[in-house]
Amino acid sequence: MAEDIATKLKNYRTAPFDARFPNQNQTRNCFYNYLDYHRCQKSLGAKGEDLAPCDWYKRVYTSICPISWIQKWDDQREEGTFPGKI
Amino acid sequence: MAHQAHAYHMVDPSPWPLTGAIAALLLTSGTAIWFHFHSLILVSAGLVLLLLTMFQWWRDIIRESTFQGHHTPPVQKGLRYGMILFITSEVFFFLGFFWAFYHSSLAPTPELGGCWPPTGVITLDPFEVPLLNTAVLLASGVTVTWAHHSIMEGERKQAIQSLTLTILLGFYFTFLQAMEYYEAPFTIADGVYGSTFFVATGFHGLHVIIGSTFLAVCLLRQVQFHFTSKHHFGFEAAAWYWHFVDVVWLFLYVSIYWWGS
Repeated sequence: MAEDIATKLKNYRTAPFDARFPNQNQTRNCFYNYLDYHRCQKSLGAKGEDLAPCDWYKRVYTSICPISWIQKWDDQREEGTFPGKI
Repeated sequence: MAHQAHAYHMVDPSPWPLTGAIAALLLTSGTAIWFHFHSLILVSAGLVLLLLTMFQWWRDIIRESTFQGHHTPPVQKGLRYGMILFITSEVFFFLGFFWAFYHSSLAPTPELGGCWPPTGVITLDPFEVPLLNTAVLLASGVTVTWAHHSIMEGERKQAIQSLTLTILLGFYFTFLQAMEYYEAPFTIADGVYGSTFFVATGFHGLHVIIGSTFLAVCLLRQVQFHFTSKHHFGFEAAAWYWHFVDVVWLFLYVSIYWWGS
């Protein structure tokens, strides 16, 4: 699986179609990938494993989220006021 | 001396529609003045005029019907249609607030944490006071039906007892809700959760108070022998309204208190 992830990350151009979010409003797509990246960091980091697979989520949310949202959520996480569950 | 050759009620000229309209104007403009210029004069005048209008208009209807006999069967039929249409309009009123609740709760935004209840909101336990409130209103639906049957069967004492019990249950509900409002860990300002909760349950509570008042007027009239076993539409209208209030609560309980927790 790790080599698949590495290949996928190498061939990454932009966020692929995600059937979980088929409609025009992609807010949830952005938000969930942001959440999933940080949850991945947290759980793999706790087990001391390689954090490379988590980068997929980061690529996706960096591609599709508005930069202001990412900044706002990063600030909230630092302050401890981020409403999502990580 | 000419008498009417039909069974309908051609109402005598009355000032109450005008005073009611003036009250509506005073209440609306008064609220705006209150918000912007901190003066309560207009809105208080509107409230007083509204209460006087309601008291005198409905007193006149009782005079025309109970004391003067103008409410023939066709007239009563029209009043029945009217009450049903009014209650239907109120159903649509509440539908709007349920729409707002479901709009926000079925697809919670990232600002809320993508979840419902939103992050940080401590909801009320649906199996504590809200469940008691449900039981209280359901019981009041039973007692109001008991009152209706008592009136139809000419049982004066039982009618008074069951109607009094219905009103007391209504007051108990209002008291319990007031306590819940005071003790709740969230306020109306707590995001869309607070807004949908307090606007929907708040308007419901207002309707409980209105319904209790309507029933109380019926109790006063029953004590004063206004109702007959065959003709008591004022009471029926109050009972319909009361059942409507009960049904709205059931939807509120299942949607907001139970599913929404």
